[in-house]
Amino acid sequence: MSTEFELTVFTSTVLLLSAINTEVLQPIKLRKASMLSMKNISKVFKTDLVETHALRDFNLEVQEGEFVAVTGPSGSGKTTFLNIAGLLEGFTSGEFSLDGVNVSNLSDNNSAKVRNEKIGFIFQGFNLIPDLNLAENVEVPLRYRGMKASERKRRVESALEQVGLGARMKHLPTQLSGGQQQRVAIARALAGEPRFLLADEPTGNLDSLMARQVMELLENINQQGTTIIMVTHDPELARRAQRNIQIVDGQVCDFSMYQQAATGTR
Amino acid sequence: MLHIKPILSSLMRSKSAPILLLLQIILSVAIVANASFIINERLSLMQRESGYAEDQILTFSVYNFDPAIDNIKQNEVDQLILRALPNVIDASYSNMLPLSGSGWMDRWVDSPNEDTAKSTPGFAFYLGNEHLLNVMGAKLIAGRNFSADEINTNLGDSGMLALVSQPLAKAFWGDESPLGKTMYQGDQTVTVVGVVDKLQGAWIDHENFEYSVIQNIDFGGSSSNKTYMVRALPEHIPALEEAIRKALNAENPNRVLDNFQTLTELKSLTYSNHRLMATVLSIMVVLLLLITALGLTGMVMFNIQRRTKQIGTRRALGANKRDIIQYFMVENYLICIVGGVIGGMLALVLGQQLMSLYSLPMVPMIYPIISVIGLLIVTTLAVIVPAAKAANISPAMATRSV
Repeated sequence: MSTEFELTVFTSTVLLLSAINTEVLQPIKLRKASMLSMKNISKVFKTDLVETHALRDFNLEVQEGEFVAVTGPSGSGKTTFLNIAGLLEGFTSGEFSLDGVNVSNLSDNNSAKVRNEKIGFIFQGFNLIPDLNLAENVEVPLRYRGMKASERKRRVESALEQVGLGARMKHLPTQLSGGQQQRVAIARALAGEPRFLLADEPTGNLDSLMARQVMELLENINQQGTTIIMVTHDPELARRAQRNIQIVDGQVCDFSMYQQAATGTR
Repeated sequence: MLHIKPILSSLMRSKSAPILLLLQIILSVAIVANASFIINERLSLMQRESGYAEDQILTFSVYNFDPAIDNIKQNEVDQLILRALPNVIDASYSNMLPLSGSGWMDRWVDSPNEDTAKSTPGFAFYLGNEHLLNVMGAKLIAGRNFSADEINTNLGDSGMLALVSQPLAKAFWGDESPLGKTMYQGDQTVTVVGVVDKLQGAWIDHENFEYSVIQNIDFGGSSSNKTYMVRALPEHIPALEEAIRKALNAENPNRVLDNFQTLTELKSLTYSNHRLMATVLSIMVVLLLLITALGLTGMVMFNIQRRTKQIGTRRALGANKRDIIQYFMVENYLICIVGGVIGGMLALVLGQQLMSLYSLPMVPMIYPIISVIGLLIVTTLAVIVPAAKAANISPAMATRSV
């Protein structure tokens, strides 16, 4: 975390402390370590004829333990932000740190290692491998980490239990409903015990009941301390996050904080 | 880590394409193993040492049409003329030409008593004078050559002597020396006076190809058509045909001289079927391996296209490029190894059938093993390029709607 940002947060904290009752001692939480820090990030897609600025001077700080919702109209740059935040693609300029480590110039192998060890991905289309059963699907990132079989087994069982699918480990993804498939994808993301989760429209392919279940699951995970950044179209879901970011034309245009801790709602 | 278990699970759950490829590999291994064995057999036959000075021997035929000719006298004169030619090392009549596919065969017995007599294996039956051994370039390893005064002109003459090839001597007499042994050829007795290291017959595919005998009969006088062998250094061979024609026609122009060819050319002609077979089978093996390689490449490319999002997801979940390449390599190695093992067994069964139907030797185990190794190399070459292409799929593919 930069000194400047720390100072700003600290000043805000002092002002808040002077104005509200002592129950709102959330500023102590806000001084947690920075999980994601993007400074002046820009991403330009070039063709022979045209240059498209997907992100421009994009700045964002996400602290450890936060649940941040990212919204914005189609084509605003949400997916580009998600891809860069998840080290799925590079960026044109700027500085980017993850969990306190500068990841601006990582090699392909190191990017893969960081993705594997620090980031859990939840995709809109679940992205489960249809030929593998649930346990094998959840095991995929653990295998790439070179984890021992016994430890893999323990984590797979634990993760599937956590999402309520411990009894269906040998089932194939096609034998599950959409909501169940997304829960498997969440188990896959959790099994690696990541530092933060990146969710790309996690309820986009689900009906409202399933969506609510998945959202509750994500909230539970966040309450256990995992940082979550969720890209969504759904304003109702976004409102349930601690913090809401809007991206318009490749820039953060609205940065509002919900004092959910103060109001007691999540 | 090779991640064999999930790859196997995945293969077992979408079987159609892998099974088709597996069948192709099984058949390829079975055919390639047997074809390789046959090719090697043929090459081994072609590479056998003959023991003859092949590139120094010029052979030719003489056809006499003059009814008044004295064949015995003409034969003697012609050989003297040939030996007197410049650069000629030696020259001799021979009733048959080695490695030519055409000649004489006989066998002896070791007793005049038909009930107790033991017969030698069949052997190539060369008739010639004391010069023949030198013309052939064959190496005498025991005993002696014939002397000039021991040469007969007819099969029925008495005082028959013989030189035998070492393989024939070992086959019939074992470790005992054949020298001085008296054998029976019809009513004639034949005494073995020498053993020659190697003396191949005329029939390259015959099991007794290495069993040969030279008897002391200059038979050229018994027929108006004769074959001669003339030995000279290879650099003198090209000019020799003209010199021979000129000299023999000067002596007697009423005859035809034909079929001039070196023993190397004669051998090459005789082995041409084997060479053709080896070439055709080699082309077939290469085509089969190429088709298999194309099949593998096709399946990998199809799988890459089908699994683009899956590859992107794997990359997003932490697979590096090497993991992706390894995934496709292991997947195809598994198919190749399973196909190779089944194909290898099929090759042995097929080999047994060929053995019983066409009297071919049993295919040794090494051929299926080499075929599988060859196939693994082909698999590597066929899969590595598309797999490397798959590894370049961006992890961002995981978030795209494809």
